[in-house]
Amino acid sequence: MDLSYFIFLSSGLFLGWSLGANDAANIFGTAVGTKMVKFRTAAIIASVFIIIGAVFAGGGTSKTLDELGSVNALPGAFMVALSAALAVYWMVNSSLPVSTTQAIVGSIVGWNFYSGYETDYAILSKIVSTWIICPILSGGIAIALYYLVRLIIKHSKMHLIRQDLYTRIGLILVGAFGAYALGANNIANVMGVFVDSSPFAPLNIGRFVLSGPQILFLLGGIAISVGVFTYSHKIIRTIGSGVMSMSPMIAWIVVVSQSLVLFIFASQGLQNLLSSNGLPTLPLVPVSSSQAVIGAVMGIGIAKGGRGIRWSILCRIALGWITTPAISALICFISLFFLENVFNLTVYR
Amino acid sequence: MFHVKFSLFSQTKSLENKIDLFHDKIIDVAMTFKKAVRVFLAEKRSEEYRKLSKQIKQIEHDADGLRRDIESKLYAQNLIPDLRADVLELVENLDKIINRFDEVSYKFYIERPDFPPEYHMRMTELCEQVADCTENMAIASRAFFRDFSTVRDYSQKVYFIEHETDLTSGRMKEAIFDSDMPLANKIHLCNIISEVADIADIAEDCIDELLIFTIKRDI
Repeated sequence: MDLSYFIFLSSGLFLGWSLGANDAANIFGTAVGTKMVKFRTAAIIASVFIIIGAVFAGGGTSKTLDELGSVNALPGAFMVALSAALAVYWMVNSSLPVSTTQAIVGSIVGWNFYSGYETDYAILSKIVSTWIICPILSGGIAIALYYLVRLIIKHSKMHLIRQDLYTRIGLILVGAFGAYALGANNIANVMGVFVDSSPFAPLNIGRFVLSGPQILFLLGGIAISVGVFTYSHKIIRTIGSGVMSMSPMIAWIVVVSQSLVLFIFASQGLQNLLSSNGLPTLPLVPVSSSQAVIGAVMGIGIAKGGRGIRWSILCRIALGWITTPAISALICFISLFFLENVFNLTVYR
Repeated sequence: MFHVKFSLFSQTKSLENKIDLFHDKIIDVAMTFKKAVRVFLAEKRSEEYRKLSKQIKQIEHDADGLRRDIESKLYAQNLIPDLRADVLELVENLDKIINRFDEVSYKFYIERPDFPPEYHMRMTELCEQVADCTENMAIASRAFFRDFSTVRDYSQKVYFIEHETDLTSGRMKEAIFDSDMPLANKIHLCNIISEVADIADIAEDCIDELLIFTIKRDI
């Protein structure tokens, strides 16, 4: 393994950094914004659990992305990740709703087009269907939780101060779970395309053995954590004013809903449990945590009587389902052409 | 770790107790005031009245201490960030009611208003209404912390009693000005009656705010 590998890996690490900076705000944003949890505490918990989730449960979603397109050359993987990162950066700058997941899927499809490999449309439609299911499912869970929490508060007659303590503990616990689910679900976006060209041999750490992809996921997890520590505070502060009106209890419901959705679409254990009981399974696909959050907030809005819901946001999300992968695929296609013809690098085998 | 956990729970419990105690003080002061006025009307500035007046002063002093404790704990421990400002305002307003009871009982002590016997029953009724109004206000406020769905029930009682207080005080003032006592006396008694009736008005203002806070309290 030489230094060039890390140069090529840098685009994935950059994508990981931006994911950490942006998506950690979805997990701990309100808790930190409302001063229920200190940023330092949130960042440490988020980093630890993102890495655990990525390393020990990130395999399932990566496999699905691999089925969509096995990016088999390192320069190709570099460009797929970089294109996704550029698409995300450009769309964020243009104030358009964006999802890293949708960007990476677009990039992979762009690579498939360029390399001539056939895109598995069954897998693609499975992935796209989860983009639609994700906010709806998150909204449904949020509605159920909203009524359940209200019922509990009404009947328990808990003192406001005690309720505050439990909410605080709940926000930390669910934040840890959310970070784990984010790591497990979204590591595929960051490192998935590098799995096929991974040079890492299994590593023994005491009683644990880390496989090659797991070492890759560890690096991706660290990149996400660096993003959490170095930049997410700014994002939290920016969105803080927007979510401040949310009560800490609502924030808790939103994070639980989002985390459950991310977990459902990442957990191999849950998939095994469902299939062993003859129940229909959900695909293991990376989904957008931001859209899960929006789905949950909309769900609560509906539960509260539908007042104050900005339906235009839903239209913007739906637009993002098409524009993000399309832009990402286009950037990837053009960039692969330059990489191959200007720099003489092998972008596919 | 366990120590931190237990310390957090014990701090929470201690603050809950302080808030409960603060509400107890409001009920205490209302009951004591009611008793004090009855004693005053019967015995004027007697030793018994002096004791009750002192007792009210002590309750006011204790309530001030509790208020300061509650306020500093809410800020120092960064508790209920979304509702802290509301709770602080509520506690401040409740404290104003206690202070007013103290001021009025002291006024009775200093100014020694001379109520003719035919007004004693109405004055006792007015004080009972004011105490009842305050008591319901305290129960509504306590419910805000524990069982906010019942705040509205107690609020209605406060509104009703406050209205009754206005009627009683109005009738008293009318009767006093229709009487033959000297004008200075009439004005003096009317001022005292207004001071007593004002306590119910403050309770009503508190309830108005409390109802808004309750909407915010719902998740």
